[in-house]
Amino acid sequence: MMQEKISLKDVSKAYDTRSTEVLALDRINLSVADGEFVALVGPSGCGKSTLLYIVGGFLDAEGEVLVNGAPIDGPGVDRGVVFQEYALFPWMTVRKNIAYGPRQRGMTDADCNNLAARLIKLIGLDGFADRYPRELSGGMKQRVAIARMLAGDPEVFLLDEPLGALDAQTREIMQDELLRIWLNNKKTVIMVTHDVVEAVFLASRICVMSARPGRIVKEFRVQLDRGRSREEIMLSDEFNRIRNDVWLAVREQALLMPKQ
Amino acid sequence: MTTARRNVRDRLGWVVDGILPIAILVAAWQLFASIGAINEAMLPSPYGIGLALFDLATGPEIRENLLVTLYRAFGGAALGCACGVAVGIAMARSEAFDAVVSPLVSATYSLPKTAIVPLLILWVGIGHTMAVLAVFLTCLLPTVVQTYHGVTATPNVIVWSARSLGASRREVLWHILLPHALPDILTGIRVALGFSFVVAISAEMIASTAGVGRLIFMYGENGSYAYMFAAITSVVIVAFAADRLLLLLSSRLLSWHVSQRGGHS
Amino acid sequence: MSVSPRKSRRLPKMWLSILSIVGFFAAWQAIASAQVVPALFLPTLPSVLEALRAGAADGTLFVDIGVSLFRAFAGLLVALVIGVLAGFAMARVRIVRWFCDPVISVLFPAPKIAFLPVVILWFGIDHTSKIMIVAVSCVFPIAIAAYEAARSINPFLVWSALSLGASRAKVQWAIVLPACGPSLFAALRVAVPVALIMAFTSEMVAGGGGMGATLMYSQRFFESPTVFAYILAMLVVGVLMDRGLLAIQRFTPSLSDQV
Repeated sequence: MMQEKISLKDVSKAYDTRSTEVLALDRINLSVADGEFVALVGPSGCGKSTLLYIVGGFLDAEGEVLVNGAPIDGPGVDRGVVFQEYALFPWMTVRKNIAYGPRQRGMTDADCNNLAARLIKLIGLDGFADRYPRELSGGMKQRVAIARMLAGDPEVFLLDEPLGALDAQTREIMQDELLRIWLNNKKTVIMVTHDVVEAVFLASRICVMSARPGRIVKEFRVQLDRGRSREEIMLSDEFNRIRNDVWLAVREQALLMPKQ
Repeated sequence: MTTARRNVRDRLGWVVDGILPIAILVAAWQLFASIGAINEAMLPSPYGIGLALFDLATGPEIRENLLVTLYRAFGGAALGCACGVAVGIAMARSEAFDAVVSPLVSATYSLPKTAIVPLLILWVGIGHTMAVLAVFLTCLLPTVVQTYHGVTATPNVIVWSARSLGASRREVLWHILLPHALPDILTGIRVALGFSFVVAISAEMIASTAGVGRLIFMYGENGSYAYMFAAITSVVIVAFAADRLLLLLSSRLLSWHVSQRGGHS
Repeated sequence: MSVSPRKSRRLPKMWLSILSIVGFFAAWQAIASAQVVPALFLPTLPSVLEALRAGAADGTLFVDIGVSLFRAFAGLLVALVIGVLAGFAMARVRIVRWFCDPVISVLFPAPKIAFLPVVILWFGIDHTSKIMIVAVSCVFPIAIAAYEAARSINPFLVWSALSLGASRAKVQWAIVLPACGPSLFAALRVAVPVALIMAFTSEMVAGGGGMGATLMYSQRFFESPTVFAYILAMLVVGVLMDRGLLAIQRFTPSLSDQV
């Protein structure tokens, strides 16, 4: 049996607004095995990002969140994160951004720079090492954000709509990158996305959430042969069948949403 | 236009755009003064002021007094800004501290800064301490407000990224919150610097035995108007130079900021 | 979403703020009445309130406030007129902008109070000189705001008006000026405290009536309760002016920041 990496038991999250209490998540139970790539999909406002932040330790919640069997205590180096807004440190160069995690882990300057250089090459940004984030395009910033997370060597990747701010072409290229990295590392990944096609292309498991208050209402196992080319994968009947099912499930939840 | 030519034009641009208008103004002024269209007693000619300025610059008068004022202004500003940053950070990180301190901060916001001068004279008498203290208190407010704003405006996702890369709470403060607040803090310091001159000179004009404010007033009372204007000119020059220096420093420190020229979208 | 202060679980924020203010006055009264420091340095709260009451009773307080406010607002009015004219001129006529730019850059960081002796020389020691120093101090932020606002005005507004037959002058006053309203109002919120400071300070330096003059007078004669009373009064005046401006903005939607 595969080891249980992340375990959520009856996780709920409520927000105190001035007039009422808003329930964002309602008793989420989720168990993620080591090496799984889980995609969280659902209509806007269903709380999928909130759930990710709770796993990351950035938000408090009721219920239990266990990583490797132990409850989490805030953010940790075991759970790396990539945000939709890139969240690069604007006052640090590309190299310094990527080297931040290793430096915090106590690596020597030389080792940090070597690791950063390798990753910069990996993401294809050779020559941009000493640029500031403001000098980079969206796609470049996202690559740096991903490299920064990789440099931190976490056990779990938490991705919050990481490709949401990119144009369609760049997004496809980045999806291939992400897939390649995951196939190489076999790390546990939880990714939030509103793009159903992206979820089916990348994930081994898709969880569909309901509208607020968010619950996990449907799960899909995705077993595609990802060794094939993108064309083969996306044009296959298998892919399209799963995509249709997931899309329908999300649409159902979206239609159930009360009119704002 | 070739790039080389354009660079030269850019560099010389500040001469044409910066100095020429002022030169024209001064020349016109001198012209009117020379033909007697201006009452010399009310407004001395640029030439007269220039002579006085030279005389002051080569003598001890202006040096001693100007240095006294600068010491008070910069000294008070340095202390005030440093404390302001500390208080601003504390207010941003602890809601309890914020709740206790912010009414006091708001109160001083509406208080005319020079109004505390008479109070300080009551407490510590006339002299250095009074002036430095007045400048210190004046510089606190803008720095506190700007620091608080800069720190609290730090996007959560940046703080969270740092925490997930292993930064402790203390490291988040130094690595993340302060750098993010730096543009705002520098704005606050620029405002505080302006205030520091005003308060230092006001304090000297109100009651002091030294300083360039006192000097200006004294010349005015004695009727040495050319010297009075010369002393005022020296203050304008110093204030301008200090502001420029701060802007230069800021652009160096903030080369990473999106507001700087160049870079991607 | 951005950083917010760590939530304190004990007391709700508002109570702490009120407690802080009350505590401040309580501490003041405690220290004053315990005679830890001479009454000269820290008069008791009742004595300060008594000074306020006396000033109100014989009218001197209100006369002083009136004089200072008159000077502040007169100067503000002058600064507004000159500033708006100059700012619009800079936005429309390139030569004007070229000329004014360095002058403004050099004079903006300068402490305007340094010009007070010049202004006194030219306008005497009474109202006019104080009004003028207020005007000189406030004209810069207003001119800059007017320039920026006029410069960034939506050209479609202007073109539409022109094509409907409005003259250039009418466009300036009927379209451009109202469109600059929010920015000018924001500059005004900055200029009002400056106007008050300059009015009070020039009175402190040169006398001639007003709150600043009385403040210095009472300091010279070691009347501490009056010193404290007038500082408090200045504070209240400052707060009221700011609140007043905010209220005006709320009731005049055309002055609020447009989306």
